[in-house]
Amino acid sequence: MIEDLFFIEKQTYRKSPLHDLDARAKIILSFAAIIAMVAVPYSPLVFPVGGTFFLLFVILWGLSRLSPLVYAGRILMVLPFGLFIIIVQVFVQNPYYPAFTAIADLPFGIHVYRESVEFATILLVKFLVCISFIVLLSSTTRVQDLLEGAGRLGLPAEFTLTLGMMIRYIFVFGYIYRKVNESLAARCFSPFDSRLPYRYRLRTLAYTVGTLFIRSYEQGERTFMAMLCRGYGRESHLYIRKKPMGRGDYLFLATCLPVVICTPVIAWLLSSGLV
Amino acid sequence: MIVVHIPDAFIPLPQAAVYWIIALIFIALALRWARAEMREEKVPLVAVLAAGIFAIQAVNVPIPWGTSGHMMGAALAAVVLGSPFAAVFVLTLVLIVQGVLFGDGGITVMGANIINMGVVGGFVGYYSYQGLNRVFKNPYPSAFVAAWFSLLVAALVCAVEMAIAGTFPLGLGLFSMGLYHAVIGVIEGAITAAALYLIFTARPDLISTSEGVTA
Repeated sequence: MIEDLFFIEKQTYRKSPLHDLDARAKIILSFAAIIAMVAVPYSPLVFPVGGTFFLLFVILWGLSRLSPLVYAGRILMVLPFGLFIIIVQVFVQNPYYPAFTAIADLPFGIHVYRESVEFATILLVKFLVCISFIVLLSSTTRVQDLLEGAGRLGLPAEFTLTLGMMIRYIFVFGYIYRKVNESLAARCFSPFDSRLPYRYRLRTLAYTVGTLFIRSYEQGERTFMAMLCRGYGRESHLYIRKKPMGRGDYLFLATCLPVVICTPVIAWLLSSGLV
Repeated sequence: MIVVHIPDAFIPLPQAAVYWIIALIFIALALRWARAEMREEKVPLVAVLAAGIFAIQAVNVPIPWGTSGHMMGAALAAVVLGSPFAAVFVLTLVLIVQGVLFGDGGITVMGANIINMGVVGGFVGYYSYQGLNRVFKNPYPSAFVAAWFSLLVAALVCAVEMAIAGTFPLGLGLFSMGLYHAVIGVIEGAITAAALYLIFTARPDLISTSEGVTA
């Protein structure tokens, strides 16, 4: 995952109307979309809401001028576990339906149920929408801007400081990780080379892990000492300059937030026959 | 080995909110631990260490049947830093970055993931290590079993949470996730023990003799 960090950060340095927006506006919209999508009950109501949200995402992704391949690559990176759970759903019953109708009978007494297929699709839609907004946020906002945006939105000072420190050093360890991998490859070592004894491969990887741990601890000690030299103390915190949101940010929120808030409400009203 | 990252949408919002509240209590306790035990000034050190754990989690480990996995690292952090709260602190930072930057895990379910990996992984890893070390009088087999057990219990708790959410049957979840993690937990245990050996050999001063590894 750390290998992808540089790729993700590179995307955030592109120029587009979405990249230029204040991080706060993008954080608010992404989190609102995720919470709204998760809040929709596990019912067919998810389809119109998810469809609308995904359309909003597609428009915003288009505005970001990023390639669809970037999106596909990012999604593939996080898909496996979610997809595994979703695929298993079609073979099992769940508490969200009162009765199940088998549409296919497989060996070993395994059945595919119509309701379970619907439930799996509901999960898939919710999952994809949530992931898509996170991908949008992290592909158009620099890590430091995300941190400052979160700080301006009220993230406690203890967290902005520690997260800020961590984020800064993630890139350092990203380089170290890359160098360690290169030096292992230069010695013709591959953890997946089955010609090497498995115990030897594990031991080498364990020492790599131990070395990374020691290096990070030592880096932490050096950083801590350097910060002390600069007057760091108990009351220190990350300075975040006050910055008002611009007209474009408000316009962005005024356009997109109503979609995120009103779509589930309208869909629910329509499905319950109240409108 | 980190397959216990529950993604967004797999836990309904009200349940996710409960997990967030529980996680926030442990995060507050971890911050209090950092202030009391490490002195507040040393918090940056843990933050840099969290970046290191993030890198450690990126190390691809071959799993015998042809796939690969990653370490959880909660037991390693708890044992070396001498407190389960260290694992909560470090894993919380790691999970925030993984959830917000990579979409690995999620936003609404982050509380549940912090509980599984930070709280359960850290507490089970630390206390089973402490107990076993008293019996074996040898830190390395103790660390091996503690890391294996912490991964297994974290996976089982994850299965229970998903069963409560109604997104995965309890029996199948406990069996499949339990069996898978019981097997790959052996690798987590072996790497933790060997990494601990290296740390203890290269920098014995890093490890608290009263609470952490005692050779």
